[in-house]
Amino acid sequence: MDRLAALKAMLLIRRFEVALDARPDHGFQLYSSGEEAVAVGVCAALEPGDQLLCSGRSIGPALARGIDPRLVMAELLGKAAGPSGGKGGRGHLAKPDQGFFGAHAVVAGNISIAAGAALAAQLEAKGGLVVCIFGDGACGAGALHETLNIAALWRLPLLLVCDNNGLSVSTPREAALAPAKLSDLAAPFGVTAATVDGMDVEAVHAQATEFAARARSGGGPAFLECLSQRFFSHSTATRETRSAETMRRVLDRCPIRLYADRLRLNGQLGDDDLTRIEREVDDLVAGAMAFADASPYPDPAEALRDVV
Amino acid sequence: MSSEAGAIKLFFREAIARAVREEMAADARVIVLGQDVGAFGGAYKEFHGLYDQFGASRVRDTPVAEAAMVGLGVGAAAAGYRPIVSITYMDFLMLGLDPLVNYAAKARFKTGGQVTAPVVVKTTAGAKGQGVAHSQCLEAWLMGVAGLVVVAPSNAADAYGLMKSALRHDGPVVFVDHKRLFPTAGEVPLAQTFTPIGQAVIRRPGEHVTIATHGYMVRVAGEAADRLAKAGVSCEIVDLRTLAPLDVATVAGSVARTRALVTLEEGQLACGVGAEVAFRVQEQVGAVRIARVGALPAPVSSNPVLEAAAIPDAARVMDAVRRVLDA
Repeated sequence: MDRLAALKAMLLIRRFEVALDARPDHGFQLYSSGEEAVAVGVCAALEPGDQLLCSGRSIGPALARGIDPRLVMAELLGKAAGPSGGKGGRGHLAKPDQGFFGAHAVVAGNISIAAGAALAAQLEAKGGLVVCIFGDGACGAGALHETLNIAALWRLPLLLVCDNNGLSVSTPREAALAPAKLSDLAAPFGVTAATVDGMDVEAVHAQATEFAARARSGGGPAFLECLSQRFFSHSTATRETRSAETMRRVLDRCPIRLYADRLRLNGQLGDDDLTRIEREVDDLVAGAMAFADASPYPDPAEALRDVV
Repeated sequence: MSSEAGAIKLFFREAIARAVREEMAADARVIVLGQDVGAFGGAYKEFHGLYDQFGASRVRDTPVAEAAMVGLGVGAAAAGYRPIVSITYMDFLMLGLDPLVNYAAKARFKTGGQVTAPVVVKTTAGAKGQGVAHSQCLEAWLMGVAGLVVVAPSNAADAYGLMKSALRHDGPVVFVDHKRLFPTAGEVPLAQTFTPIGQAVIRRPGEHVTIATHGYMVRVAGEAADRLAKAGVSCEIVDLRTLAPLDVATVAGSVARTRALVTLEEGQLACGVGAEVAFRVQEQVGAVRIARVGALPAPVSSNPVLEAAAIPDAARVMDAVRRVLDA
């Protein structure tokens, strides 16, 4: 993994979201801030021909997969220049020709879809891998367990990544899910699994790389639980239920700052590097916003296009 | 059995198997997923021979997991394949509705045409002694889902032709057959043919009343029409064949002549196929005499007396025809 590229990718997600959130017309959004290391660590383990699917919390995964921030911003703001013409919008970002099969905003709804894409990859036999990122909220759903069973039986090239941010809207993970670790959910099916610190991009990347290599070589699916924290409330329309003190603790453990500090300590990041990365990221975000602003909204006639 | 020139007599189940076999031979992206579809050949032998011919990689037995089965089919479709997912009974389709309704039916729209999901979900509706959770006709539920095509053949030729068309369609199709149709036989063209999606057909020409129906109930309508003919009443039967998109023009054209409409379905009348057909026909031809025939507003028991009491038969169709003609 290119360390500085990973740092930049995480910073892009954060500043992209800050810029989006500052807009009065951002509409309903689900942010990935705090969970950048999960998306970036996983995506750094992917090849161009692989496909990534994710939940509605999709800004991090889309940007980490390398989708042009201009396209992402346009789509999120409902503009015609988005890859889906602004019709998918928040929760349904997609750019499959660049390895981002897409987001799907039904909790657990993309897991069996990902397995189907993995079946296609297996039949194609070109070594393609399919990855699906979902939240802890999806782990109580039958779709996950049905899919784990079939994926194990058929040894599908599928990596299931649970970005466990500890909260399903307001419900703490402990109150919703019985297992001690969510990676334990894979064990009954004989699916290899691990739990890693989702705030540590290198830990995520290392484990994702190992599982990806295994799945690519016919070793079957894997389940990777990444323990993360979200910095915003569930959505822009959801009130924050955590106390101010809890939020201080949460925000104090920033995956981007943690990684920058570590790189600096190891002599892998100089002040000039950081300044340059910040400038590049700010330029990308400004460019994304300008691109989205320059694009019109879709024609109302689009409401009836591409339906059947 | 004698056959027309250029046709062969096939059982309904054989017609389905032939369509799938031809499409699998023509396109390596066509695969079959479902419970007992492999060596067993399907609950009604409607996949007989496919496993032997195409192997376990393309004809895949699944566990009892409808949500994942439909989801895998939809996902593989979105990734470029053309899967047919067999849901043994329509009652169980609701377990797999999320990937079908929330993903497949919206994939093309929500991605601005980047992704399509050409999946065929084949499922079996109708009452035949199997009780409250194995007898339902829920096709009307699906008619309100934008993005879904729903077809329901009434004979072997259309089972063949609609399955062929469904497997070539670039979006999700629900193919609804019926338990009582599997043992029926009919003429199927020897040449490859495609029954167009979205086209109803006049199955029996008549003058006095139009009966609009689909699936197995086309046969019930035919029985009623035979008996009414002896009393001098001439019924025109329109076989809807596709429920979404509905071919309103063909029904309206018939009703414009007869000025009387009976809708017939085995499912529930509330928000049913008949309600939709009747309203939309009247939007085109103005007010006409109408009666709807459907199941009683009750579950369908496996008890033979109660099952027969719950679902339409020829006598009830005849009553409805007389009712509209006397009105």
